[in-house]
Amino acid sequence: MRNDRLKIVFVLCLAFVSTGGQHLESKVAQLLQDKAEDIKCFVEGKDLTCFWEEEEERNNLHDQYTFTYSYENKKKMACVVSSLSLLASNKTVFFCKLPKTPFFTTLVVQVYRDAQMLYSRSLNAENFLFLDPPRNLTVTNSGKEGQLNVSWLPPPLKYMDDSLIYEVRYAMEGSNMGKVEVIKVSTMLVLLGLQSDTRYKVWVRVKPDGVAYKGYWSAWTEPVFGVTPPGDMDPLIVVLVLFIGLILCLLSLTVILSHHKFLLKKLWPDIPTPEHKFPGLFTVYKGDFKEWMSQNNGSIWGRSVHVYAEELPSPLEVLSEVSLTGHATSQREERKPVEEEEEKESERSDSRLTDRWREPPHAHWLMEQLRALQDNPESLSQSSLLQSHDTYVTLNQGDNERQDDDVFEETVPLQTLFTTAGTSSLSTSRSDLGSLQQSSGSGRLSSQSSFEYPNHTWPPKGPGYAYMAVADSGVSMDYSPMSSSRIAELGKHRMYTNDYKNDIFPHKWPLSGQHIKSGSGSCTGTVW
Amino acid sequence: MFHGSGLFALLLMVLEWTRPGLSSPLRPICDLRVLDHFIKEAWDAEAAMIACKDACSIATNFTVPLTTVDFDVWDAMKIEEQAQEVQSGLHVLNEAISSLQISNQTDVLQSHIDASISNIASIRQVLRSLSIPEYVPSSSDGEDMEMQKVSSISELFQVHINFLRGKVRRLLTSAPVCRQGVS
Repeated sequence: MRNDRLKIVFVLCLAFVSTGGQHLESKVAQLLQDKAEDIKCFVEGKDLTCFWEEEEERNNLHDQYTFTYSYENKKKMACVVSSLSLLASNKTVFFCKLPKTPFFTTLVVQVYRDAQMLYSRSLNAENFLFLDPPRNLTVTNSGKEGQLNVSWLPPPLKYMDDSLIYEVRYAMEGSNMGKVEVIKVSTMLVLLGLQSDTRYKVWVRVKPDGVAYKGYWSAWTEPVFGVTPPGDMDPLIVVLVLFIGLILCLLSLTVILSHHKFLLKKLWPDIPTPEHKFPGLFTVYKGDFKEWMSQNNGSIWGRSVHVYAEELPSPLEVLSEVSLTGHATSQREERKPVEEEEEKESERSDSRLTDRWREPPHAHWLMEQLRALQDNPESLSQSSLLQSHDTYVTLNQGDNERQDDDVFEETVPLQTLFTTAGTSSLSTSRSDLGSLQQSSGSGRLSSQSSFEYPNHTWPPKGPGYAYMAVADSGVSMDYSPMSSSRIAELGKHRMYTNDYKNDIFPHKWPLSGQHIKSGSGSCTGTVW
Repeated sequence: MFHGSGLFALLLMVLEWTRPGLSSPLRPICDLRVLDHFIKEAWDAEAAMIACKDACSIATNFTVPLTTVDFDVWDAMKIEEQAQEVQSGLHVLNEAISSLQISNQTDVLQSHIDASISNIASIRQVLRSLSIPEYVPSSSDGEDMEMQKVSSISELFQVHINFLRGKVRRLLTSAPVCRQGVS
C-alpha cells in the first residue's frame, strides 16, 4: 500500500513536471546564460524556483544535493531537489521549488552536497519575477494607411495588472531588423509609420515595472502577422504637385505676355514693304506705278534727290556725268527702268522694262569698252571705262583683304563672261554688270573702289582690280521679269544701308533722277 | 410627544453638524500610483543609505516590523487583522526613522529621512481615506506584533521599502472600499 502511494505520488510528480516542465525548461534555458550567480532563482506564479547546474560528471542522483532556505533569522527549511535534462543544450540542472515563498523579506538559500555547502545566496523573492508571455496577441488592420492595431492580454496575475510593462517588437516579413516600442500598463498599441501594403511580424513580452515588483523579461510571444492597407496617393503630394504646376504656368504666362512683342517679332517677322517710300502708290493708285510716277514725278524725285543729295553721292552719278551727253539721256532713260524695276514689286511694269532692257542703245558701246579694258589692263586710269552707268562700284569698307578676296572671286565669272561676250545672253551679262556690291555701315569709299574724275588717278591694284569696276559680287541681278520669288530672294540677303562717306566727291550732284538710291530696295544689288 | 421627538431630532442634527474633533470623511484614494510614488522615494532613500557605508554605520538597534508576506496566508487574513498589522508596522517604522533625526547626519541623508517620515504620514492619510482602522496600541501585551531588530541604517531602510511594497501595498490593493467601485 505504501508502495502504491509512492507510485501514485511519483506519477503525479512526473505529470506535474511534464506539464509544467515546458515552461520551466524554457525559463531555465533562458536564465542559464546568466553566469553571475551560481544559484539562479526566479518566481513563477507565486513560487520561487532555484536551480543550479551540475558541477561535474557525477552520477545524476539528486539525492546527494540538499537545498535549504531561511528568512527572518528563522530556522532553515529544506526543499526537495529535482533534476531536469535540457534537450537543447544537453545539460542537466537541479532545481527546487519552494512550497511557501515569503515575499518582501530577505531569503537565504543554500545548496549542500554531502553535508558540504556548495552555493549560498540571499535574495528578495519579489525582485525575480519571471512572468509568462502575454496571451492572445492579435494584429488587426485599422484601415488607415501605414497603421496596425496590436492588442493582447496580460499574464494571469493577481493584483499586478497595473504594474506591468510591455515591449512590442515588429518587423517586415523576411527582415531581421525590427523596431521596439515600450508601453506601460496598457495592453494595446497602434503601430505608426509603417509601409503600405506590407506584411509585418509582431512580438510582445512583459516585465514587472520595477516599483513594487522586479523581474526578468518574459519570453517573446509567437509572432503574429498583419498586413498594412494599401496606400493611395498621398493627397498632400498631389496638391503640392498641382500647386507647383500652376505657379510654373503662371510664371511662364507672365514672361510670355511681358515679351510677347519681342517673341512675335522673332517668330513672325514683318515682311518689310517699301510702301512708306511711295506714299499713295498702293492706296490711291492701286499699285499702278506709271500713274503714280506721272502724278508725282517732279516732286517726288526732286525731293528724294534733294534728300539724298545730302548724302554722299554714289559713283554712279559721277560716271553718268562724266560720260558723253549722247549717252547721258539714254542712260538716264535706262537708269529709270532699272530703278523702277528694282524698286517696284508689281509685275505690270516688268514687261515694259524688260522690253526696254533687252535692247539698250548703249549696250554695244559698253561691250566695246570692256574689250578695250581686257586688252589693256593697265589703262585703268581711263575713266571712260568706268563711265557706264551699268558698272557698279564696290565699296571698300576698309577690310582690304576681304575685299580683295571678294574681288578676285567676283572677277572670275566676269572674266569668263567677257570672253564669251557678244550676242550671247546679253541680258545675263547685263545682269552681271548690273550687280552692285555694297557694304554696310559707314564704309568709306576708298579711292581704290571709287569712280573718280578723269583727273584722278586710279591707284593700280592689280589686274583683277580692273574688273572690279564691272565686277559683280557674284550676285547676278536678273533684270528679267522680277518675280516675287526673286524679290523674296533679294529680301533674304542683307541689304546694307548706304551711309558711306565719299571723301572724293564732297559736292553734291545736281542731277535729278540720276541718283541711284542706295539702300534697301534700290537698284543696288544684294550682298551675299 | 411630538415636541419631544422634534427636539431630539434637532439635537441630533446639531450634534452631527458640530461633531467635535472629527474631520469630514476623505475621498477614498484607490489609485495605487500614489503609493507607488512613495515607494519610489523609498527606493531612492535605500540606495542612498547603501551608498553611504561609513557615515551611516551607527551601532544602534532599531525595532522594525516584519515585512514577510505569504500571499496565501495574507489573503486568508481578515481585513482588520491586515489593517492592524500595517498600522502597527507603520507606527514602529516611524519611531525608528524619527530617532535618526536626532543624530547628526549629512544633508542628503537628512532629506531622505524627512521624506520617509512625511511619506509614512501620507500613507496613513491614504489608509484613513479607505476607512481602514487606525493604529490602536494594544494595551494587553507589550509586543503583540512580531518585530525584528536591525543594527544598521541601511537595514532599516531596507525594511522600510520592503514593508511599503509588501504589506501596505497588498492592503491597498485589496481594500474593500476600492473593490466595491470596481465590481
